[in-house]
Amino acid sequence: MQHILRLFILLVGLFAGTGSYAADAAPKLTTPDDLGPQIEQPIEFPHFRHAGDAKDGGMQINCMYCHTYARRSMVAGIPPVQKCIGCHQSIESVRDKPRIQKLFEYWDAKKPIPWKKVHDLPDFVRFNHERHIQRFYFQQDRPYQEVCGYCHGNVKAMTVAQRQKPLTMGWCASCHQKDHPVSANSTETGHGPNDCFTCHK
Amino acid sequence: MSVSNLLENWSKFRHTHPVDDKGHPDWEAYPSDIKWAMSIDLDACTGCNACSVACYAENNLPVVGKEKYSHGQAMHWMRIERYWDETAGVGEFSADQGARFLPMMCQQCEAAPCETVCPVGATNHTEDGLNSQIYNRCIGSRYCSANCPYKVRYFNWYNYPEQENAWPSPLNQQLNPDLTVRTKGVMEKCTFCKQRTYTARNNAKTEGRPVQDSDVQTACQEACPVGAITFGNLFNPESQVAKQWQSQQVELTKEVQDKDEKEGNRLRGYRILEELRPYPSVMYLERVRESAV
Repeated sequence: MQHILRLFILLVGLFAGTGSYAADAAPKLTTPDDLGPQIEQPIEFPHFRHAGDAKDGGMQINCMYCHTYARRSMVAGIPPVQKCIGCHQSIESVRDKPRIQKLFEYWDAKKPIPWKKVHDLPDFVRFNHERHIQRFYFQQDRPYQEVCGYCHGNVKAMTVAQRQKPLTMGWCASCHQKDHPVSANSTETGHGPNDCFTCHK
Repeated sequence: MSVSNLLENWSKFRHTHPVDDKGHPDWEAYPSDIKWAMSIDLDACTGCNACSVACYAENNLPVVGKEKYSHGQAMHWMRIERYWDETAGVGEFSADQGARFLPMMCQQCEAAPCETVCPVGATNHTEDGLNSQIYNRCIGSRYCSANCPYKVRYFNWYNYPEQENAWPSPLNQQLNPDLTVRTKGVMEKCTFCKQRTYTARNNAKTEGRPVQDSDVQTACQEACPVGAITFGNLFNPESQVAKQWQSQQVELTKEVQDKDEKEGNRLRGYRILEELRPYPSVMYLERVRESAV
């Protein structure tokens, strides 16, 4: 009896082993659970409250209201404390919430909030926010939440942002190889640059 | 098979020139409307080295120091070559006319000898006419450097940022974030200030217009006190560099320029080692001196 049990355990282990090996052999470029690490921020910024849909209690603020540089620069930018205070000094209803009190502590101390990077690309990569926003938001007229979401995931449902996509070269290339329409009312298509020198610096 | 037989047949399989393999470059079918090119006026050049220094500052080039320099390990993407008239005899130079200077950097050849020999494809041709160098892909075989007729590729023999005192503090504060600090074991070379041409193309694209001369200057061009360096898009007939090439009757597509030698036609333009057919993108301008004839 014990022999049969042993054989059974061995076989189960063998199948489980080969099964997991097969899964490792062909990793998908994008998997739904390929998340980045949970990063603790100095203030737990509620993205869902600011950018979320109205039915979920969000304010539906455009991503580029705070991340202003995304449409005209390589980097999207983190808003200065001034931008937060600009609205929050006249929003009395949430003034005594612990997060807002923390915000005003930084403001009174005249110190920037030491946000940590969530979407951190290696230094040898040149990623240009402007080109992607220009192409998909301004030329193709797609909703900004969808456009930003291609790389950043569904940030409007998150509190502290977490990396949702692998942001690896293969992942970038998987989209750059596809043909996209050039503008909203055009049948003409084109794909992203596949030239090494454009993104590698 | 005897050795002589082998050598005789070898010529059949030897690749002599990229143009022979791929055919003559088809300039009508050029993949983009941009071809970066340069022209350098050697009659204006005073050999002051400002361009070289500007290149060091712009492109994060390590300063290797005297000893490594004497070993030929300097990392100057742009160097000033000096040529003296040799009159009296071998090894004796007359300084009557002084030295003649020649700023030498990557000539961004259209049929580049370096590109065809890279075993991993780390250097290849971009659509705007540059020889790219991808540091991540480079394995440091140095074939490209061996095959470069201009000897303008530089190899990182040391890990300068960490082990060598290449940027003593506070010089490390001025490192350019628009390009990497290269690590040990990769080849590097002049990129025609890729970070600047990239920005120029990006801004022009956003504004929906072609790139103009006013959009971009290379670091060496910006630093040159006598304005000897001109840089721009050769395919734009309005650009300064295209006008200079045209007025000197130098054509990118030709390895032998058929210049019209009329009386009073003082043409000065030439490209270095044109006869090797790399089709370089840099034209030099120099008056032929009596002493050189």
